[in-house]
Amino acid sequence: MVEAKNLFMKYGKGRQLALDNVNFFIDRGEFVFFVGSSGAGKSTLLKLIIRELKPTDGVLKVFNRDVGRLPRHRLPYLRRNIGMVFQDFRLMEERSVYDNVAFAMTVIGSSRREIKRRVPHVLNLVGLQDKAKAKITDLSGGEQQRVGLARAIANRPAMIIADEPTGNLDPGTALDIMNLLRSINLRGTTVLVATHNRDIVDRFKKRVIYLENGRLVADEQKGIYTHVH
Amino acid sequence: MFINGFIYILGETLKGLYRNRWMCLTSTGVVMVTLLMLGGFMVVNLNVRHITEVVKEQVEMVVYIDDSADRATVEELGRSIAGHQAVARVEYVSSDEHMSRLQQQLGGMLEGYDAALDNPLLASFEVRTENPETVVRLAEEFEAYPGVSAVFYGQGYVENLFAVTRIIQIIGLALMAGLAITAVFLISHTIKLTVLMRKKEITIMKYVGATNWFIRWPFLLEGLLMGFVGALIPLGLINYVYQVSMEWVATNELMFINLLPLQIVITELSFYLIPLGTGLGILGSTFSMGRFLKV
Repeated sequence: MVEAKNLFMKYGKGRQLALDNVNFFIDRGEFVFFVGSSGAGKSTLLKLIIRELKPTDGVLKVFNRDVGRLPRHRLPYLRRNIGMVFQDFRLMEERSVYDNVAFAMTVIGSSRREIKRRVPHVLNLVGLQDKAKAKITDLSGGEQQRVGLARAIANRPAMIIADEPTGNLDPGTALDIMNLLRSINLRGTTVLVATHNRDIVDRFKKRVIYLENGRLVADEQKGIYTHVH
Repeated sequence: MFINGFIYILGETLKGLYRNRWMCLTSTGVVMVTLLMLGGFMVVNLNVRHITEVVKEQVEMVVYIDDSADRATVEELGRSIAGHQAVARVEYVSSDEHMSRLQQQLGGMLEGYDAALDNPLLASFEVRTENPETVVRLAEEFEAYPGVSAVFYGQGYVENLFAVTRIIQIIGLALMAGLAITAVFLISHTIKLTVLMRKKEITIMKYVGATNWFIRWPFLLEGLLMGFVGALIPLGLINYVYQVSMEWVATNELMFINLLPLQIVITELSFYLIPLGTGLGILGSTFSMGRFLKV
């Protein structure tokens, strides 16, 4: 599903490599944590997967397509298969919970009937069925991230990418969000999570890819943050 | 999907206009003020051009025939002038006719004067040129023809008239060009602010897989609508002010100010201002959102 071969990334001339000869393969349905300190290259890697950035060298295949060579007009179709979850939620605060989720479906051309059927379903999955009409600003951080998750799964993507999804949440709420991601993964969606959160990584015992200064230094199945560190 | 997309785009356009109503009003106001000034200058320029055309058409040259020229020379002179390619019309005026015109102009002042016995006025050819601006050059040419005593075309006045109208037109064009550039600058900056306010929305759209055109359309339509309304209002205002001015000219008996008819002015202005307004709106949106689409 995602395959990196001799992947290099450099931001501008003379600067240090953000990714230095990274190689890995992630299969369909996997749950993978990308860990490492700030500046290790986790976010760069996720940005390369959604083609927000282009690799400097090497090959990065997503859904068997080399994203580095993907023409710009094909990008929307790549992204429709990937649900994004962000640390800062990136929601439209002036709109309701329902509208935020429906928005993701509307912009890819889903029919009104499909939206009316699907949005209550995904809100139910993330436990926000009673807050459909609430404004984003009236929700707690955890609830806002649930909206982010609902939006990410609304279009039934094959893969979810979460960049520090628990970064702004207290430990209890963070665990709730991770449990939601796990339940989404159990339904067959591939989940990639970039995180600093040791407790969560250790508790979930999933595959861990550890990055340090842009290099992949460890790749363990059922890994534990503390071990690979 | 197409109909849903269209309904969505239209809905988003209207929602966008409502949500950012103050910013949209500002943008429309900028388009309106600049197009109003531009339209005002165009009206002035159109009328200056019209008045000068009318005045230019009245420019006439009189070629006075030498008293000593024989009949054959006069006939040859008439043929040479009439055959000149720059000449539109020639009329022979005898010295008797000049005298009768003078008598008409002066009324009773020449009473008792026997013109048949002693007429000092010279016969002449009254010449209209194809292009009034060639009158100076033609006068010099005709002065050298045999049988010509003098050529008169309002020396001094004509040169000044042409110079002044040319300056007025150049200033008008420069002002209009300046205003158009200012309008593009102001509109693109105002729309950029609208786009900046919705940067988050655009970024989210990009992340969930919206195509660039799907993102662009509502902004383009917003720009188009703002530009269109921003052009219609000045047109309405100019229409009203021009009508009032025409009535004022008529009631004050200033008929020598030969204003262009309202319909011609408004048709001409609509021809430029509406495409300019909508074009500026669309251009402004396109320029402003370019870099936000590169996510």
